[in-house]
Parts: sequence; C-alpha cells; structure tokens
Amino acid sequence: MCKLLLLLLFSPLAVAQTLRLAAAADLQPVLPPILAEFEAKSHLHVDASYQSSATLAAQIQNGAPFALFMAADLSFPQRVIASGLADSAEPVTYARGTLVLWTRNDSPFHQLAVSTLRDPSLKIIAIANAEHAPYGRAAEASLKSLGVYDQVKPKLVVAENIAQTAQYVDSGNAQVGLISLTSALSDRLRASGHYVEMPRDSYPPILQGAVVLKNSPDKAAAHQLLEFILSPAVQKELAARGLEPAR
Amino acid sequence: MDTQAIWLTLKLASITTVCLLCIAIPLAAWLVFSRMRWKVAVEAISTLPLLLPPTVLGFYLLVLLGPLTALGRSIIHVVGHPLAFSFSGLVLGSMIYSLPFAVQPVTIGFSNIAPELLDAARLLGANRLRMLFTILLPLAGRSIFTAAVLCFAHTVGEFGVVLMIGGDIPGATRTLSIAIYDQVQDFRYAEANHTAFFLLAISLLALIAVYGSRKQVHHG
Repeated sequence: MCKLLLLLLFSPLAVAQTLRLAAAADLQPVLPPILAEFEAKSHLHVDASYQSSATLAAQIQNGAPFALFMAADLSFPQRVIASGLADSAEPVTYARGTLVLWTRNDSPFHQLAVSTLRDPSLKIIAIANAEHAPYGRAAEASLKSLGVYDQVKPKLVVAENIAQTAQYVDSGNAQVGLISLTSALSDRLRASGHYVEMPRDSYPPILQGAVVLKNSPDKAAAHQLLEFILSPAVQKELAARGLEPAR
Repeated sequence: MDTQAIWLTLKLASITTVCLLCIAIPLAAWLVFSRMRWKVAVEAISTLPLLLPPTVLGFYLLVLLGPLTALGRSIIHVVGHPLAFSFSGLVLGSMIYSLPFAVQPVTIGFSNIAPELLDAARLLGANRLRMLFTILLPLAGRSIFTAAVLCFAHTVGEFGVVLMIGGDIPGATRTLSIAIYDQVQDFRYAEANHTAFFLLAISLLALIAVYGSRKQVHHG
C-alpha cells in the first residue's frame, strides 16, 4: 500500500520528458497525428494547448511555462521576441495558411462560389475577430479587396478564434463562414459541408511563425520539435491537411 | 470606453432580471406548495445551469437553437432568424444561465412562510392569485429582492454563454465582458483596465445602493 502511494506520488518523474507546446487554434485539426509521430520518434511527451495566437502570446508574456509557440501569423511571435523571451531574433515561418469560404451541404447556399457573398438572400456570415485572430484579419482584408466588405458588414458575426468560426457555421447558425482550410479539411467538416478557396491575391499571405522560448528548460527539445515540423516529410503532411510549406 | 457595451449590458441585465422573476416566482411557488412527487426532478433541473460550465451551456444553446434541431427550425420560422447572434438570443441564454440564482432565494423565501397563514387565507376563500399577491409576495419580499440583485449581477458578469452564442456584434451582442476580453486580446491593457474598473465601480455602487435601501425598508 505504502509502496503504491509512493509510486503514485513520484510517477510523473518516471515518464518521459514533457514538452509544453502553445499552438494556434487553426492547428488543432492538424497537429495531433504529427505530434504523435514526433513522440514515437523522440520519446518525448508533447502537451499541446490550442488557443488563439493572441491569448497564447499574452500567456507567454506573463510567464506561462511553454517551450515552443506556434502562432497563426508572424506578429504574435514577434511580440514575444520583442519582450525578450524568444531564443531567436526572427520567428521561423513553418507554414502558410489558406482562407476558404465554407457552407454546410444542406444549406441554401450549397452551390458555393465567392460570388455567394454578394447574394442578397445571404443573411449571416461568420468570420474570426479581425483584431486578434490572423484568419479574421485575412478574412476582412479579402472582403475589402473583393469590394464586398461594406455590403456584408451588417451580416458579419464575429467568433473569438478560427475554430469557433467553424463552429458557428457548422452548427448552421451562420449560413457561410470564412474559415481556415485546416478546419475545412478536418473529418467533421468534410462530412458536413464543402468549401471554395478565397482568391489568393485578395488577402496578405497568412504566414505562420514559431519561436522557441529561451527560458524553458526544454529549449533543446523544442528546437528538435520545430526541426521535425520543418522536415520535408512533415511539411508534405501539413500540406495535405491545409497548411502549405512556407518556403 | 465602450459606452455602447455598457448600455447593452445594463439593458440585458435588466430585461433578463424582469423576465426571469416572472418565471421564477410561479416556479418557486409550485416547487414549495405542490405535492407532486416528481417536483424534485424539476427542482434538480432548475439548478443544473449552476453545474454546467457556461461555455458548454452556450455551445448546447448554439446547437439547440440552430437550424439543425426541430426546436431551432421552428424558432427560425417564427422569428425569421436564428436566435444566436441576436439580443433576444442573449436574453434567453442569460435567463437559463441565471435561473438558479432566481429560483433558489425565492424558494427559500416561500418555504419560510408559516403554512397557517396560507391555510387561514384558503379558509377565508382567497384564490391562488390573491394569496400570491397578499401573502406570498409581501412576506417573501426580501428573498425576491435578493433574487433580483443576484440575477442582475450574475448577468452583468456573464461571459461564457455570450462568447459562445453572441457573435460579438456592437450594439446587439457585444457586452462589457466581451468588450474587456477583446481589449485584453488586443493587448489594450490600459483600456481593459478602465472598462473593468468602471464595471466594478458601478456594480459596487449599485450593490451598496440596493443593500442600503433594503436595510432602511427593514428597519422603517
């Protein structure tokens, strides 16, 4: 009995080293299998927290014990660098995101095209917050450069991050949504709906950057994970799941 | 400072409180005076919103009120739009979220009333409505007041449900708590501090005012 208690008390020490990863919400449908591969290869354990890049950056600036920060843009890693917490002077661009227009298969707008956005019978469009979600910023830029922003502005409902945007439109409450290709390619959304890509030149590229945090005791392991993600095999896998290679 | 969000929050809290009391008072009366055996089930269900994390409650409402359910479709048919992303949707969400805060105090207030008083009234031929207005409401006044204050305060501070079903629309669903959250997310800490301080200050003043006035009524 006593032995068992001791074992329970100290068991965390016995398991493999744990690497804490702060990952942007658009990575949630993408990363888990890739992290599992990394764990099998490296015998490290990765604990991932998926939240909006802004939340994660604020947590890191306030001392959250993450080893690696994978954001959905470059500005949030740059913010971490500016506060002197990063192990490099520039963020490492690890992928490029794609913005898509998505709708449910049973929606009245199932013959989806970018021109659907001009349809007067379209009433509710979900986007992510343009102030602090990188895909939201891209969505707003895209709507502006397509010249429909003023027309659709009263129809916009704003989700806190890109994963919640997908929830708004997948639950049918919003008729269409501007979401990440990573969400659109997830099993769930592939089954319930379909998408069209927003024109590439209508928004600034969604370059996604990562930084290793220099105060983390797992810094070396974090560099190892980042290198793994940049390896050609993983970059190819990311591409299949909606994140193009950045270079 | 986001004055639009301040007004919206006060409007939401007031409407929610009034609507909720209209439901909670008859419900509490039924819970206290009914002899039906399954009323404990109703009592338990009315306490559930206390247990569910607000974001989970909000997510269930989003799905339940959306076009994927029969209930959601009939609401959309009647109202013309989904309740999510609208002020009326927030009122409904807030009512469910704050339900236990209204029902619990009123139930306690009603069960503290001496049954002899009600028996006497019944013998004198008073109907239920008359008993409600001449005995229950005056004698449980303090509990109803407490319920109103709790509902109001709880709705002002509501975040998870609004985040899930609101859609952050200025003037319709962007409440103070969402505005503060947005400001924090955008690293506008000074602005967030101002808004949060304002929220705390008016809430504290309001609570002092209502509790102060209650004391006077009690002694005078």
